[in-house]
Amino acid sequence: MSNIGDGVGRETPVTDFRSMSKVSVGQILGLVEAVDEVGGVADAATIAREVDMDIDRLGPILGAAEFLGLVTVEDGDIRITDLSRKLLMASVRERKKIIREIIDDLPTFRLVMDMARNAGTPLGRQEVVQALADRVGSHQAEDVFKALVYWGRYAELVRYDSESEQLTVRVAPT
Amino acid sequence: MGDAQPLLQVKDVSKSYFDNGKEFKILDRIRFELAEHDFVCVVGPSGCGKSTLLRIIVGLDTPTSGEVLFEGHPIRADNPQVAMVFQSFALFPWLTVAQNVELGLEALHEDPAKRRAVAKKFIDAVGLTGFENAYPRELSGGMKQRVGIARALAIEPLLLCMDEPFSSLDALTAQNLRDEILQLWSNPDLPPEAVLMVTHSIEEAVYLADRVIVLSSRPGRMVAELEIDLPRPRNRKDPEFYGWVDEIYSLIV
Ligand SMILES: Nc1ncnc2c1ncn2[C@@H]1O[C@H](COP(=O)(O)OP(=O)(O)OP(=O)(O)O)[C@@H](O)[C@H]1O
Ligand SMILES: [Mg+2]
Repeated sequence: MSNIGDGVGRETPVTDFRSMSKVSVGQILGLVEAVDEVGGVADAATIAREVDMDIDRLGPILGAAEFLGLVTVEDGDIRITDLSRKLLMASVRERKKIIREIIDDLPTFRLVMDMARNAGTPLGRQEVVQALADRVGSHQAEDVFKALVYWGRYAELVRYDSESEQLTVRVAPT
Repeated sequence: MGDAQPLLQVKDVSKSYFDNGKEFKILDRIRFELAEHDFVCVVGPSGCGKSTLLRIIVGLDTPTSGEVLFEGHPIRADNPQVAMVFQSFALFPWLTVAQNVELGLEALHEDPAKRRAVAKKFIDAVGLTGFENAYPRELSGGMKQRVGIARALAIEPLLLCMDEPFSSLDALTAQNLRDEILQLWSNPDLPPEAVLMVTHSIEEAVYLADRVIVLSSRPGRMVAELEIDLPRPRNRKDPEFYGWVDEIYSLIV
């Protein structure tokens, strides 16, 4: 995960988090597998052709996979990481656990989790979007919220009720 | 195949439609068996009768001649040992994920607490824990199909039948779900025991199946039944993998 660890050239994590609103965990896993099958390195154009997606669609998936530390991208070459190899070998349950650990560490996610814990009561959607807007700008806040709900649900870190628009922190799964 | 009775026997199943006394033959004497632990794919060109065959196998349609036996008895549509997953997901938009999965359980478990527990188990098995109270509109295509799979598995079937379950998904999502279906199938603690899947994608069939049944175009006739003896996990870039894809391709064209 050296691409995240050193932090250099990664000043815009919030923007990357936003790209996660457009992708699903299945797409990221599918991408990692496609690269693994050709030996762990592939150029983006080849993968795009193979999975029949233009770069507009593949771009956010690549961005999110890179952001999560599952691939590195350099000069158009996609390379899978040790973490993604581990993910490929894992069961459905173990995959969730691995991704939970990554998600739980993301600053944007932390912000909202802390907010929810401090509040002690469910957070309203508007409240969260407002807090996000202060940080990422109002034009991005909705997308970031969407990503937060999707990945938070998947990682079993948050509960969201779309009827009442209430977000709560889940008790840590074991 | 040992001495044990096969799970499923498809015996010379033919199907015709009649229009003004004129016969349109759709399926012609389809014959194969499926045992526990089998993963069988049926491939064939568009319109060759794959969906019709699967509907007959699960008892939703009747053959013009021939018969389908499940554990030695004629198949019935209400047999809870057989479950079906459709391409179109077939979810109720006004119900949550959990409610969609529980719905199929009303006939099986009287106790609502039991239904909830069973649904929870299979929602978890397909990786949907966290989305229990989400509505279908909040889900990606891949997630929707997971709901379809959870619902099918929740009746704890021996045989899972799927009609092009991944064909409306993007290539990445589809591949991820293929892997997860293989995980479920090979897990002895979870249903199903066997899978029968219909697809028009030869590559998908070679990736998943240990046996592929190849149908010709109209009427659907069995052109070949092939044992895919490639080790798992399979690599779609492996030359041997491609050898199988090419062989089946040449049989269909
Ligand atoms: N009720 C019906 N009456 C008349 N013809 C029908 C009926 N149902 C299906 N057919 C015809 O039977 C043929 C086989 O249909 P079926 O849907 O089983 O094929 P398929 O292999 O699943 O096709 P696809 O690849 O498009 O899913 C088609 O030509 C279809 O038009
Ligand atoms: Mg069909």
